[in-house]
Amino acid sequence: MKKIRLALFVGAAVLLLVSGPVFAHHGRSNYDVSATATVKGTVTSFEWTNPHALIYLDVTNESGTVEKWIAETNSPNTLSRQGWSRNTVKAGDLITLIGHRVKGGGFYINFSKIIFADGKELSPAIQN
Amino acid sequence: MRNQWMGSIFVMLTVLAFSPAIFAQTAGQPEAKKAKSAISAPDLTGVWANITESAATFNPKEDPSFQPWADAKWKANKNTDPGQPGITNGRVDLDPTVASCFPTGMPRLMTEVFPFEILQVRDRVIILFEKDYAVSHIWTDGRKLPEDPDPSYMGYSVGKWDGDTLVVDTIGLKDITWLDRIGHPHSDALHVTGRIRRINPDRLQIDWTFEDPKAFTKPWTGRTIYRRHPDWNLEEFISCEDRLLHGGESLEQKAVKEHGQ
Repeated sequence: MKKIRLALFVGAAVLLLVSGPVFAHHGRSNYDVSATATVKGTVTSFEWTNPHALIYLDVTNESGTVEKWIAETNSPNTLSRQGWSRNTVKAGDLITLIGHRVKGGGFYINFSKIIFADGKELSPAIQN
Repeated sequence: MRNQWMGSIFVMLTVLAFSPAIFAQTAGQPEAKKAKSAISAPDLTGVWANITESAATFNPKEDPSFQPWADAKWKANKNTDPGQPGITNGRVDLDPTVASCFPTGMPRLMTEVFPFEILQVRDRVIILFEKDYAVSHIWTDGRKLPEDPDPSYMGYSVGKWDGDTLVVDTIGLKDITWLDRIGHPHSDALHVTGRIRRINPDRLQIDWTFEDPKAFTKPWTGRTIYRRHPDWNLEEFISCEDRLLHGGESLEQKAVKEHGQ
């Protein structure tokens, strides 16, 4: 049991270390880091820009209204070292994003994991 | 008389004709020596990435001993956000690089998460930074630091070898930059000394001393560690592209503002 707890603790610590730098550029103060947000929608475009690559997506909410979301992740320099390119995410892709939403309820998320329709998952992070 | 003139002109022409060769030869010998010393110098070349624990500063255990004005500035810059799991940056709205798009500059570039590449040539060691596409020229040709250089973002650096360690002195730094990523301030009197050593084939260690008589009451010291990535190439990182594209504000800033935060 102790071993499992230690493993969990180490796992959490590693996750913090790895996920921290997603915010390295601008800090976390604009985000609700107390809750994990999940957003599912259809990509309208993928912007390969600094300091964060941005995914624009349409998300249909519970009442059937389409919300225009923007999702940011790492910068192109760090993403390309993990095998990403400007074509990794394409318009029309159905994706699920897991991350932290901005405070105040804006349609903007900083994501640490993307899941594609075929089940493929990518977790962008700086790996120095 | 005329012959004497002709003779003088002939001598002068002869001297002129040979003089480039003489200069070339005298200049050539020290060049050869320098080239030899560059080859025998320890090899620091490669792409290096910051793996220091608490990499956002040079010394997470102890702040510089600040003069009162600098201490007030540090208290303002310091990130006290309770949602921050570890200190990775200072107050974002006061950060000259993040909030106002100023160049990161030295020595803060050495605390950033993005890698740099070291090149060694005959007369200098060059550090190419992925962030801002900045370049630091560390002159190793024996020159001294200038007396009163005009301040710049990268400063003026000279280096000399002490055994396997490259000792780099940097002055002439603009005070508009932060000293590190967490927001320690400095003045234009900052003198940075970095002792760069390859402690094993894949690790670079730099021991730092920061002297700043205008901002500190005593020198501040620290250490940073970098890992070599033989399979990495430098990419490009430009801080403010989002704002240039979206009318002066990042989309994150807009999203927060539009919802009354």
